[in-house]
Amino acid sequence: MTEEVSKSALSQTRSKLWVDILIFAAFLITMEPRGSGLAIHEWLTLSMLAAMTVHLLLNWDWIITITSRFLGKLGGLNRINYILNWLLFVDGTLIMISGIMISEVALPFMGIQLPQGFGWRRLHDMSANLFLLMLGVHTALHWSWIVSTFNRYVIQPVARMLGVGAKKDASA
Amino acid sequence: MKILGRTFIILFAFVLLSGLMVAAVNASGVNQPNFNGERTEFRPQGGENGGLPFPNEGRRPEGGERGERGGGFWIFGAVKNIVVIGVLVLVIVWPRSAAKKKKRAVTTP
Repeated sequence: MTEEVSKSALSQTRSKLWVDILIFAAFLITMEPRGSGLAIHEWLTLSMLAAMTVHLLLNWDWIITITSRFLGKLGGLNRINYILNWLLFVDGTLIMISGIMISEVALPFMGIQLPQGFGWRRLHDMSANLFLLMLGVHTALHWSWIVSTFNRYVIQPVARMLGVGAKKDASA
Repeated sequence: MKILGRTFIILFAFVLLSGLMVAAVNASGVNQPNFNGERTEFRPQGGENGGLPFPNEGRRPEGGERGERGGGFWIFGAVKNIVVIGVLVLVIVWPRSAAKKKKRAVTTP
C-alpha cells in the first residue's frame, strides 16, 4: 500500500516536471512572436490555459493547504510563494484576455471579430514583461526542487542509458 | 469527478478575473484612442481613414512588433528573456545557498 502511494507520488512529481518544462518552453516561444509567427503565438498561448490548469491541478493539495493556513501560522517563504503564485495567475489571465482582445489570427479563424482595442495592446506587452520577471522569481524560489527533480528524472536516466553509472559501479 | 470539480473552480476563477479586467479596462477609458491626453482629430466615420484619429493608431505595423520578421533578430529577444530569468535565479538563489553554507560551517566543528 505504502509502496503504491510512493510510486504514485513519484509519477506525479515526474508529471509536474514535464508539465513545467512544457510551460516554460511554450512561454519562451510565445514571448517572441517575431520568431514563431503570429499564428503559433496566439494558438500556443490559448493552449497554455490547458497547461496552466494541469499545473494547478497537480499542485492542488499545496494550494489548499496554504490557503487554509494563510491567515494562521505559515513560514515566510511559503507566504511569499503563495502571493507570487496568485500574482502569476492574475497576470497570466491578463496576458490571455488582452491577447484575445487584440487577436488577429485565432479569433478571426473562429469567426469572432472584436473592435480595435487601444489599451489592450499596451496592457498585453506590460503584463507579458511583468510575467517574465515574476517567472524568474518563481523559478528561483523553486530552484532546489527543479535541480533535484531534473537530476533524478533526466540526468540520472540519461547517464544510466549512456552507461556512466555502470562504469562507476565497475570501478568501485 | 474530483478533478472535474477542481478544473471547474480554476476555469471559474479565470473567467471571473477576465470579466473583471474587461470591465475595469472599459470603465477606466484606457481603451479609448485619446487616452493619456493623446492628440485627437475629428474625422468623420467612414471617411478617408475609416474614422480612426490617426491612420495606424491601434493597428499593428506590417510584419512589425508582433508580426513575422525576417532575419534572426528575434533570437536576441529569446536569449534576453532567458538571461533575465537566469539573472533573477542567480540573484535570489546564490545568496541563499551561501548563507546556508555559512550556517553549516558554523554548526559543524
